[in-house]
Amino acid sequence: MKAIWSSGIAPIAVCALLLSAGSARAQDNAQNFPVTTRTLKNGMRILVQPDHSIPNVAMYTFYKIGSRNERPGTTGISHFFEHMMFNGAKKYGPGELDKVMEANGGSNNAYTTRDVTVYQDWFPHSATELIFDIESDRIRDLSFDRKKIESERGVVASERRTSVDGQNEGVLDEQLWATAFIAHTYQWPVIGWMSDIEHWTIDDLKRHFAMGYSPSNATMVVVGDVTSEEVFALCEKYLEPIPSHDPPPPVATVEPEQIGERRLVVRKPAELPLVMIGYHVQQTNDPDFYALNLLQTILYHGESSRMYRRLVDKDQIALDVSPSLDPGFDPTIVVITAQPKEGVAPEKCEAAIYEELDLVKKDLVSDQEFEKARNIRLAEFYRQMRTISGRANTIGTYDVFHGDYRKLFDAVKNYNAVTKEDLQRVARKYFGPNNRTVATLVPENPETPTAQEPKSQEQAKP
Amino acid sequence: MKTLKFLAAFLLLLPFAATASAQKLQIPPHEKVVLKNGLTVLLLEKRGVPIVDVSVLVKAGAVVDPAGQEGLASITAGLLRKGTKSRTAQQFAADIDFIGGSFDADAASDYSTASAEFLTKDIAKGFDLLSDALLHPTFPQDEVDKLLAQSIDGVKASKDSASAVIFDYYQAYLYEGKGYGRPTGGDEVSLKRIKRDSILNFYETYYTPGNTILAVAGDFNAAEVKKRIEDTFGAWAAKPSPPVKWDAVGPAKGKRLLLVNKSDTTQTFFVFGNMETTVTDPDRVAIRVVNTVFGSRFTSMLNEALRVESGLTYGAFSFFRPGKVPGPFAIYSFTRNETTEKALDLALEILKKLHTDGLTAEQLASAKNYIKGQFPPSVETSAQLANLIATHEFYGLNDDEVNQLDARVDAVTPEIAKQVIAKHFPSDNLVFVLIGKRSDIATEIKKFADQQDSREVTAPGFWPGAK
Repeated sequence: MKAIWSSGIAPIAVCALLLSAGSARAQDNAQNFPVTTRTLKNGMRILVQPDHSIPNVAMYTFYKIGSRNERPGTTGISHFFEHMMFNGAKKYGPGELDKVMEANGGSNNAYTTRDVTVYQDWFPHSATELIFDIESDRIRDLSFDRKKIESERGVVASERRTSVDGQNEGVLDEQLWATAFIAHTYQWPVIGWMSDIEHWTIDDLKRHFAMGYSPSNATMVVVGDVTSEEVFALCEKYLEPIPSHDPPPPVATVEPEQIGERRLVVRKPAELPLVMIGYHVQQTNDPDFYALNLLQTILYHGESSRMYRRLVDKDQIALDVSPSLDPGFDPTIVVITAQPKEGVAPEKCEAAIYEELDLVKKDLVSDQEFEKARNIRLAEFYRQMRTISGRANTIGTYDVFHGDYRKLFDAVKNYNAVTKEDLQRVARKYFGPNNRTVATLVPENPETPTAQEPKSQEQAKP
Repeated sequence: MKTLKFLAAFLLLLPFAATASAQKLQIPPHEKVVLKNGLTVLLLEKRGVPIVDVSVLVKAGAVVDPAGQEGLASITAGLLRKGTKSRTAQQFAADIDFIGGSFDADAASDYSTASAEFLTKDIAKGFDLLSDALLHPTFPQDEVDKLLAQSIDGVKASKDSASAVIFDYYQAYLYEGKGYGRPTGGDEVSLKRIKRDSILNFYETYYTPGNTILAVAGDFNAAEVKKRIEDTFGAWAAKPSPPVKWDAVGPAKGKRLLLVNKSDTTQTFFVFGNMETTVTDPDRVAIRVVNTVFGSRFTSMLNEALRVESGLTYGAFSFFRPGKVPGPFAIYSFTRNETTEKALDLALEILKKLHTDGLTAEQLASAKNYIKGQFPPSVETSAQLANLIATHEFYGLNDDEVNQLDARVDAVTPEIAKQVIAKHFPSDNLVFVLIGKRSDIATEIKKFADQQDSREVTAPGFWPGAK
C-alpha cells in the first residue's frame, strides 16, 4: 500500500455476492446501479456508474499485474513499482502528483496483490479532469529518479518491517504461502523478500513498467458524481491516444497437486501462539466459487458460525477463527487463521477445526444455516455497494476476476443453482488432510531456553 | 480490540468541510424526539441501499470505571448480547446472523456505544434484538467468565504488535494512569478484578433511558420507526443516572520519556505530544486546517520530511483526539532501530519549524481544499450518519458542523493559524513513548528527556500503577 492512513479499502475478497429471493431483485439492482462500459481504441476498458448522492468521485484503475508475474531476485517489484507510480512522470514530477491532487481536494492510495495492482483516487467532482491528466501522465510517461528510488526503498523496507515482520500474522502467513506453493509464483510475499527489496535496480523497474502497464492491460472504474458522457469524453482526450503494447507473458506454471500435508513452525518472542491452515482451492472464476463462499459463510461468519461456536464459545480454546480468500487468476489457497488462547497448544485448535470440517463433509448443512448464509451474502452485497469507493472496488474486482462486471448481478442465478449437496461436495474436494499446509507460531521468549519440541501446555478447561 | 477503539475515537476528528462542487453537502433533515422516560431518539431518513443503522450512546464510558477495574464499561457493553431474558448468547447470535445483521457494543473513554445494522426488510427483528440487548441483558456468569478470559488474552495478543498498543502506553503515561490514561479495554490485571456484581451495578447505574441517545439512520419510514421505538423502548423504566466526573489532569510539564522494551522488534515505534483540546474547542476548525498541513495527509510536513524526502519510515502523522476534556495530541512514526535518533530529531525539527515559520498562503489554501474535498465520503453511509448525529447530541454540537463547514474552513486566516499553532501545538512540554529494542537504542534516546522510565512489553498493564 502506498499510504497507511487512507487505506479504508483493503483488497476485498470476492465474496460479496448478490443473493435473494429471485432474479427480479437482480434486475432491480442492475437498474439501481447502472454501469456503462466502453473499450478504448488502445484496449483499455472503462466502466462508469454515475451516483450523485455525494459530490465526489471514486476512480479505481486495475492493472492485471502483481507478484505472480515476478521472478526470484526481484520479488516485490510490483509493489515497489506501485510506490514509484507516485514518484514522478513527465508533467507531474517527483512529489508533484500528491501535492497537486491534494491541493485540489483529492487523495489517493493504491494496493498490490498477487494478481493485480490497483490505483485509487478519491476526489470532488471539480477535480475530475485534473485526475485524468495525472493518470494519463503516469501511464504514458513515468520517469525514474535514482534518488527517489533509494528513499522509496527505505519506505518499503519500513512497510515490510511494520506489516510483515512486526505482526505475528504477517510472519506466519508469509511462511505458509512459501510452503504451500512449490512451483507457482504465488509462493513469495507480495511485498517481496527483504534482500530483494534491498537489491532491485532501475532497470528492473523499467522492465516491469514495459511488461505490465500497457493501457490494454488496465480496467478503470469510475463511480460517483459524474456522467458517462463526461467520463468517456475525458478518456478519449487523455487515455485513448496512449499506445498499447504486449501484455505480460502468461504465467504458465501450474502448481502440482499437493499429495500430503506440509507443516512448518515459526519460533519467535510472542505473547500468544498462532496457527494458520492453507487449503488449495480453484481460481476465482471457477464454478465452485459460489458453493465455496456459502460454505465459508456457514463455517466462519458471525458468532453463530460453526467454528466460532466450537472453538471460541464451546471449547474456549481460541479468541477467534477466520478465513481469508483473495481473488486470484490462478488456483490459490484459502487460509484459516486461529488465535489460540494462552496456554492452548495450536494443535488443539487444529484438531477442532478438522473435526468441524469433517462434519460438513459427513452431513448436509441444515436448512436454517443454508438460508442464513444466503441472507448474509445479500446483506454483505449491500454493504459493499453503499459507498462509491466500495462499489468501484467491487465492480472492478468482478470485471477483472470473473471476466464481466455483470456477474455481480447474475450472482442470484448462480447462487440459486447451489445445493446443499454442492457444499458437501466442495468440502470433500478441498478440505482434506493431503491438501493442507499448517503453520504454527510457537512463542519462544528470550528467558526461555530453546525448545526442541513444542510444549503442549493444555489449560485446565474442557 | 484496542486498535479498533482507537480508530472509532478517531472519528471524532472528522474534518470539517464542504464542497466546491455544484451540490452543497448537507446533513439530511432529521427529527429529535424525547420519550416520556427520557430516552432521546434521533431519526434520519436516507434513501439508497435498503439498510438501517442504529447508533446507541450511553453517557458513561471508561472514565467511570472504578479504579483498578479498568475495562468494566467495555465488558458491560460486550455482554449485552451474551444472554437476555428471552435469549441465550447463542440464540442472540443465531437471530442476528440469520438476517445478515450486526450488533456490536463497546466503550470509549467518554461514553459507551452499541450499534446495530440490518436490512430494511428485517426492521422488526432488528429492533426486537436491539431492545432485547439493551433492556433485558442478564449477564450470565459463564458468559462473564468467557468474555473476561478472552479479553485478557486479547490484550496479550495485541502486545505482539507494537502499533496496536503504542497509544495505550502513550495515554497511560501522558495521563499518569488517570482519565484518558486508563485503557478503555482494561488490561491483564484490571480485567481479572472485574466481578459480575460490578457489571450488574454498572449496567443498573448508567444504562437508563435518560442517560441514552438512540440515533437511527437509513432507508425507513420515520413515523413507523418512531412508533416501533415507543413500543419497544417506551417500557424502559426511568431513573436518574449520576453525572460523570472527570479527573482533573493538567498538561504535562517538562519532558519525560517511557521506553517499552520489545526484544524482537526491528523498528522503533515512537509517539510524543501532550494533552490539548476538547471536541467543542472554539478553535477546532482552525486546528483541523493547521494539522492537515502539519501531519494528517500524505504531503504533510511530517510525512514529507520523514518519508518522502528521507525514506526513514512508511508513515509519519500527527493527530488530535479531543474529548469532553482535553484529549491527547500526538506525533507518531516508526523507523528501523538504527535510525531512531535521526527520525526523532527530524520530527522535533519539523515541529519547531511549524512554530518558527508558520504556514504559507499556499499551504493554507491547499489544506482548505483538501479538507472540503475529502469530507463528503465521511458522511456517506447511514452508519456514519447515525454515529455522527448521536455524538453531536452527546457533545452539544449541531448540524452546522457539517452544513456551515464551507464558511468555517474558509474563515481560517494566516493570523488565526499562527495563534492556533502557538496555543495548541506543544513545543517545550513533551511526553514521549517508544516501543523498541532497549539494547539497540537506550543510549541514543537519553537526550530527548531528563526523566526516563522503562518497562517490558511483557509486563502486565500499560501504566506502572497497574501493577
